[in-house]
Amino acid sequence: MVGAFDFAPAIALLPFASFLIALFAGKRMPKGGALAGIAATAGSLLLSAWVALTVAGGGTYNEPLYTWVSGHGSGALSLHFGILIDPLTALMLLIVSLIALLVHVFSLGYMNDEDETGLPRYYAGLGLFTASMLAFVYSDNILMAFMFFELVGLCSYLLIGFWFREEGPSSASKKAFLVTRFGDYFFLIGVVGIFATFVGASSMPGRFAGDGAFPEVAAAALDGGVSGLNTFGFAPETWFTILGLLVLGGVIGKSAQFPLHTWLPDAMEGPTPVSALIHAATMVAAGVYLVARMYGFYALSPTALAIIALIGGFTALFAATMGVVKQELKQVLAYSTISQYGYMMLALGSGGYVAAVFHLTTHAVFKALLFLGAGSVIIAMHHNENMWDMGGLKEKMPVTYWTFLSGSLALAGIVPFAGFWSKDEVLFESLIHGLGGNPAFMVAWAMGLLAVFFTGFYTFRMVFLTFHGEPRTETARNPHGVRWNVKYPLIVLGVLAATIGLINMAPLEKLSGIHLTFLHDWLAHGGIEATTSEAYGTLLHDVAGVTAAYPLGGETGTMLVSAGLSLGLALAGVLVAKSLYDVRDPVEHTDRLGSVKTLLMHNYYQDEYQVWLATGVTAPLARVADKFDQGVVDGIVNGISSVSLFVGGGMRRLQSAVVSTNATVLTTGLVLLLLAFGLLGGWF
Amino acid sequence: MVAMQYYLLLSAAIFCIGVFGVLTRRNALIFLMSVELMLNAANINLVAFSFQYGNLTGQVFALFVMALAAAEVAVGLGIIMVLFRNFADVDVTKATTMRW
Repeated sequence: MVGAFDFAPAIALLPFASFLIALFAGKRMPKGGALAGIAATAGSLLLSAWVALTVAGGGTYNEPLYTWVSGHGSGALSLHFGILIDPLTALMLLIVSLIALLVHVFSLGYMNDEDETGLPRYYAGLGLFTASMLAFVYSDNILMAFMFFELVGLCSYLLIGFWFREEGPSSASKKAFLVTRFGDYFFLIGVVGIFATFVGASSMPGRFAGDGAFPEVAAAALDGGVSGLNTFGFAPETWFTILGLLVLGGVIGKSAQFPLHTWLPDAMEGPTPVSALIHAATMVAAGVYLVARMYGFYALSPTALAIIALIGGFTALFAATMGVVKQELKQVLAYSTISQYGYMMLALGSGGYVAAVFHLTTHAVFKALLFLGAGSVIIAMHHNENMWDMGGLKEKMPVTYWTFLSGSLALAGIVPFAGFWSKDEVLFESLIHGLGGNPAFMVAWAMGLLAVFFTGFYTFRMVFLTFHGEPRTETARNPHGVRWNVKYPLIVLGVLAATIGLINMAPLEKLSGIHLTFLHDWLAHGGIEATTSEAYGTLLHDVAGVTAAYPLGGETGTMLVSAGLSLGLALAGVLVAKSLYDVRDPVEHTDRLGSVKTLLMHNYYQDEYQVWLATGVTAPLARVADKFDQGVVDGIVNGISSVSLFVGGGMRRLQSAVVSTNATVLTTGLVLLLLAFGLLGGWF
Repeated sequence: MVAMQYYLLLSAAIFCIGVFGVLTRRNALIFLMSVELMLNAANINLVAFSFQYGNLTGQVFALFVMALAAAEVAVGLGIIMVLFRNFADVDVTKATTMRW
């Protein structure tokens, strides 16, 4: 019987086809290839929905489809492309294809209606990006995932640099590419390390799930039940931690975590729909998704988990403080993106797998919404992004205002919008596992909790400055109108941002006793046994020693305290923002921070510090290495050759080419030889 | 019958004259003649020993050497002609253009 899984390759191939169409025929098509892209992503969305329904019915799919390197004999390595579909994949496929579709529609308003040139190039980039991201999501092995991870990075480069004639975008695209590449370098070493480690114990060592999958082999190895593993002389626990951290390098680069987060704010130079699709909802999600995909591996290493949690918690707070002072709409959103991905890493690190996936889902929706809303505002403001030039847009563009408000409430974490449920669950998970005896999780939790206040503050500072009060410039008094193709995606996402949190309302379930945690069920049952959240829970408990404690009135009490705490802080942030900025003539209150503001405006001098690392440390080191190479290595080789030349130059004078001389030498030699033989042989 | 030693002495003397010619003269034709002297010194040795031991192999070998010497002269004269054509002289010490 033909089922949804037989069409699974088409989910990625359809957008790829739209990439080819836009690239080669886009000039001759009425909308520059947009319609092909919309049709393709709509097709992907329908297929993803069908796949999700099949998965809901208990189906999973994990097949190698095409082997491109086949090893013969034992211990030989085979490399293949394949598809792995389990509940996590199905959920992510739905998110990516939905947002890709909405972004394509929105682009009609943002790019086509604004008479941009180079539209085929734009839609080709979007198509290739969507195809690579979807293929990355259902990759069944880590090498295939790496390839599409890189393709996604390439598309990001192409799209950030879409307006390549200006200096900002082209430099930002290079920065994004190089910074993420720096992380991917470690990822590549990690991939090679994983293959080298597990090839002795499995014929398909790179797989995420199924026979011979590396997380399962690693788990078995820790029980001592696997032979043929090559851990390069380390204890297996240590070596698995090292491998996990190497792969984490790619995750930190792609998901813009400290210290490789610097590319993301600059990436806002790209077109706004691109920011929505790539730098908020999907590509940046690739890093977090990768950790979730191979969570069975990370769950084996308490050290790696603690590092992930600390990086996540720190990034959440660090980025949120920078978002407080920014003046441009998209910059605020960029820092909030970094901060929100910090929450996901915090959840993954502290054992909250479901919470991380939940926050990934809700964040994809509300951040895409906020970016598209920002895009709508930017169209209205004739591409002026400074919030201090806006104000009073609420009456002029009600659709944008209400949907943006929905997204902002979700981002700030106000009940009952999506972000409240997911962020609360992230903090709850890290709190209980921290209380279970892990101080690293407690520190990470405290940073995450503090960031909630800043999130509420900067989100509503942005809302009030943009939409409330009186228009502060002529453009804001007479904004440019937007059409249906901008409004419809906003409405879809606005409704989703308000409601998507309902798929997992843990605190409400505890209060009412009614079963409301559907995402938990989705990830815990069915699917491939080793990749369910239940299996991860067992691993976390047994191997990594992550335990939960509920000191505050049992599980219900602790959950309610945690939810109340984060909601209270978020509301406090919103109220402070309201009292400061929801007035007729708001002033820059952050000026009162003095030198702290300067520090924040300069992003803690992270860029300067990285440039210094490159020019002040790496370049001199390279010069020293160059000196060594030119002086010592080349010097030895050149020295040997010049000595040979000199000696040879002297020796050739012996060759006089005068026959008599040659004959004399020859005769003398013969006579001497005869004399020597005679003396030694005793002839005389 | 002449004693064996005299043949050998004659042969050695002729050979030394040949070597002396090669080492001291610069004329290519004299060179060639000196080489002929050395070859014939060897021939005398071959024939003398052949005669002494009653074995004809040495005499046959001497005939071969004569044939070889004829061929050598043919080639040698050719080389000398080319030498003269290039240097307008048959002085062997002048042909030093191909060194270094």
